[in-house]
Amino acid sequence: MASELRVNTLKDASGNNSIATSFVAGGSAKAWCPLVYSSGTPTAADSLNVASFTDTQTGDAYINYTSSTASTNCSCAGSNISTSSDLGVLNKTDTTARARTIIRNSSNSLVDSDRNFQLHGDLA
Amino acid sequence: MASQLKVDTITGVTTAGSISVTGEGNSTTTNLQQGLAKAFAHITGAGFTLTDGFNASSTTDGGTGKVTLSYTNSMSNTTYSTGGITYNRAAGSSNAEGGLTTSATHYQLVDTGGNVSDIGGSQQLSTFTFGDLA
Repeated sequence: MASELRVNTLKDASGNNSIATSFVAGGSAKAWCPLVYSSGTPTAADSLNVASFTDTQTGDAYINYTSSTASTNCSCAGSNISTSSDLGVLNKTDTTARARTIIRNSSNSLVDSDRNFQLHGDLA
Repeated sequence: MASQLKVDTITGVTTAGSISVTGEGNSTTTNLQQGLAKAFAHITGAGFTLTDGFNASSTTDGGTGKVTLSYTNSMSNTTYSTGGITYNRAAGSSNAEGGLTTSATHYQLVDTGGNVSDIGGSQQLSTFTFGDLA
């Protein structure tokens, strides 16, 4: 049977390790994915709250969310998926419906390279 | 009314590994298990000391600018998502972090600064992992 539980605080059975449910919701990632390039438009090897990608140019794409965020004041993180030391990932919020991801190499050129994306913030 | 729940394990009813949590805007729900970080680590010094962590068991030198972090509990696949940042005090810069997902039991972190001789040294490295546990 489906059920709904409304509580303010979670603790373990011994009454320790207390955490407010606001931290559970607020501290959870609202989106993440590894982006994999095999052609011009990346695909998600796995994901949370990622609906699709929009390829804009080499190395540059939008990550479209399934559920929008409440604002654009979200925290983006990520990393490249490579042992190369000359690839820099730039992830940023673009609108409440999508983020933008870019990879440049040490020559400042855009490159289609696999990368990670994570998003923390408030859902709409 | 304020409320408090004391439990050791939370499990979904329909699917054990899937619980919905209402988002901050009170309208959208997100998946609790999918949103939780499955590991984090704070690594410092030339010895790659694991100064704090969750589901992180050990670190090993992966060569110049690289360190391998092993998980206590393995991931279910190699398609998890990692992120983080390094702080290179010697070079006076903070560099983005690269991650190469090669195994469900560990992954290799790479300093993307490219001009440092050792990711250990005077540096700090912070990393986290999102994805599915085995």
